[in-house]
Amino acid sequence: MIKLIEKIEGEAKLNFNFKDGKIDFVDVEFMSTRNIENILRGKRAFDALVINPRVCGICGHAHLIATVQALESCYDNLQLSNKAKAIRELTLNFELIQNHFKWFYLTMFPFFGHKQQILKATYPTQLMSKAIAVFGGQYPHTSYAVVGGVVCEITQMDIIKVENYISQTLKFVEENLVKIDSKTLLACKDADALLEFSGDLPDILREIKNTDMINHAKSYDRFIAFGENSFFKKGKSLKKKVSHSISLKDVKETEMPTSFAKNVSYKEKYYEVGPLARAMVNKTALIVDAHKKYGDSLYSRILARAYEITELLNYSKKLIKNLDLAEPSYIEPQLDISKLTSSGYSAVEAARGTLIHKVEIEKGIIKNYEIITPTQWNLSGGTREKLGVSQKAMVGLSDIKTAELVFKSFDVCSICTTH
Amino acid sequence: MKTKMKILWLSAISCNGNTHSFLNYPYMEQFLDDFEFIYHPVIDSKYLLQDIVSKQIACDILLIEGAISKEYKRADVSIVEIIEKYSKIVQKIVTVGTCATFGGIFRESGYENASGLHFDQEKKLEDFKYLLDKTISLSGCPIHPEILANTLYAIKKSATLRLDNFLRPKEFYAYTVHNGCTRNEYFEYKVDNHKFGELEGCMYYEHGCQAPFTHGSCNKILWNEVSSKTRVGLPCMGCTEPSFPRQNLFSTKKNMSIPESLPVGVNKRVYLTLAGITKAFKIDRLEKKLFDD
Repeated sequence: MIKLIEKIEGEAKLNFNFKDGKIDFVDVEFMSTRNIENILRGKRAFDALVINPRVCGICGHAHLIATVQALESCYDNLQLSNKAKAIRELTLNFELIQNHFKWFYLTMFPFFGHKQQILKATYPTQLMSKAIAVFGGQYPHTSYAVVGGVVCEITQMDIIKVENYISQTLKFVEENLVKIDSKTLLACKDADALLEFSGDLPDILREIKNTDMINHAKSYDRFIAFGENSFFKKGKSLKKKVSHSISLKDVKETEMPTSFAKNVSYKEKYYEVGPLARAMVNKTALIVDAHKKYGDSLYSRILARAYEITELLNYSKKLIKNLDLAEPSYIEPQLDISKLTSSGYSAVEAARGTLIHKVEIEKGIIKNYEIITPTQWNLSGGTREKLGVSQKAMVGLSDIKTAELVFKSFDVCSICTTH
Repeated sequence: MKTKMKILWLSAISCNGNTHSFLNYPYMEQFLDDFEFIYHPVIDSKYLLQDIVSKQIACDILLIEGAISKEYKRADVSIVEIIEKYSKIVQKIVTVGTCATFGGIFRESGYENASGLHFDQEKKLEDFKYLLDKTISLSGCPIHPEILANTLYAIKKSATLRLDNFLRPKEFYAYTVHNGCTRNEYFEYKVDNHKFGELEGCMYYEHGCQAPFTHGSCNKILWNEVSSKTRVGLPCMGCTEPSFPRQNLFSTKKNMSIPESLPVGVNKRVYLTLAGITKAFKIDRLEKKLFDD
């Protein structure tokens, strides 16, 4: 049976095959692409900073950060101030947070017998957009991160504004998502203790726990995260064993005959990316406990994404506190890009997981550009013999509605997938 | 119960940037009391996309986001067919964003003749000519949420909007992005040594800022109610214009050291005369750091 899954930043067609009343295979098809990589070819390298945020309306900022880092990796000895690095991390955090709120209140909520909570999604989202706009001028679609730093100079008043947006967002979390003060939440290491609290997140988690949904959506229990920064670690987690020595050289992208999306694997195996993967690699106590109790299930996946909101808000406060305003925002590169022939790559943690950009430039002109998006990892459409991560999570379910919930629990982005 | 105006939000070849920009509209609660989406890419609606393409659902306003090509399909139906069907029954059509208006970035997406609804960059198209009277263009990559929401309110009130040659409401597009930029003085007095990462300086002379010749209200109606690209020090990329995206966006193209694109309505002679005068003076306050003692 074919079902068109809608409102995932576009659509995907899922072809469900049933055997004995249970899903035994799902074919995932994306129907269109916008050929961003072709659009970039032949353009000036810096123009990618303007074009690439337009890959995606909800995670375009991650594409900007990935672009600027890929371009910077083309230079030898490029200087970047700690201030610029921290500001970039902050704005990317804010994008992740706005995404998670939208996913929770617009996409997940309706699956649990509630109406979509539009205002609960837009209120904190707007605060985070404002925080990005203080540095980047606007959200979405700023290009404020340029090779050598960021274009903005920030003042004490900017810092105060951003701190207030963060505090107000934390307050929203404490009054809605999990109704306890965030310090208590961040100190919580027991996934079951969380169920004692009230709030929109515990409500959903209780519902999952009290039904057989708790066993749903398990996949390979293989996680990977390449995007390293001062908060996220790079590494993979295999049956709870975390290793930090992974190389992008082992990441392979392959064409698929039936879909515009391309498969992505690490050492020929499919891995899950996203907040759950990041938390496993980072060994975040609460999420590791959820995983220990409930595996890589719907429960752990939803908890990991929602919990990341509080973690990132809290960590962003620290980043701001440590900013040294005396440092330069921008250090002009020694070499003019028009004289540069080189190649480079980057990996950043976008809302949905590892995002990889690769670029080749010849005298400042883009010769080749490749983008691997998080949803490609999670939705790689495997064969029956070698299922993709989301496919495996859906196999064994008995109804399509639940399968749609499981599929969307990966926070699918259709437009990014095919880009 | 008051009747809500019904809107179909139809995405064509897009990034959903306008969709997400719209979610930043501060008065969403009120908006959703006044309008109803029969379909929206993110917000729940009464109908599925499959209903929209297979039936004809009652609708007052058609919003189009993204570049248009008959090759591009939604739920297996060509976007052109969907537009044709709904354009007949709606009061107004609004092209939201630069792709739907002029083709924008996804004009280059490889789909056959991808363009805006009525314009392929500056060129007027024949295809939907009969809809010209119904259409309002809201260019911008993305659209500013307030510009979209308030245009929809104007339609609801049946207010007469004066439009420019590209069907854009003059109230938003008669201004240039330069109007209201906090870096204006550096432009006026031609302090041309701008560097990134500073509060001071104007990006027009070296760094490709298109604000003086780009129509829009970015510095009048601030983004996210907070700031704008040029205020933070990022050049205006001209994203509301038919030519978006131009090439070499971070660099000012010059002929004999005169910027190739001059401010709207300012000819070369006027520009040179003014430049000559301002260059004869040195204004210490603008040469120094803004916060210097």
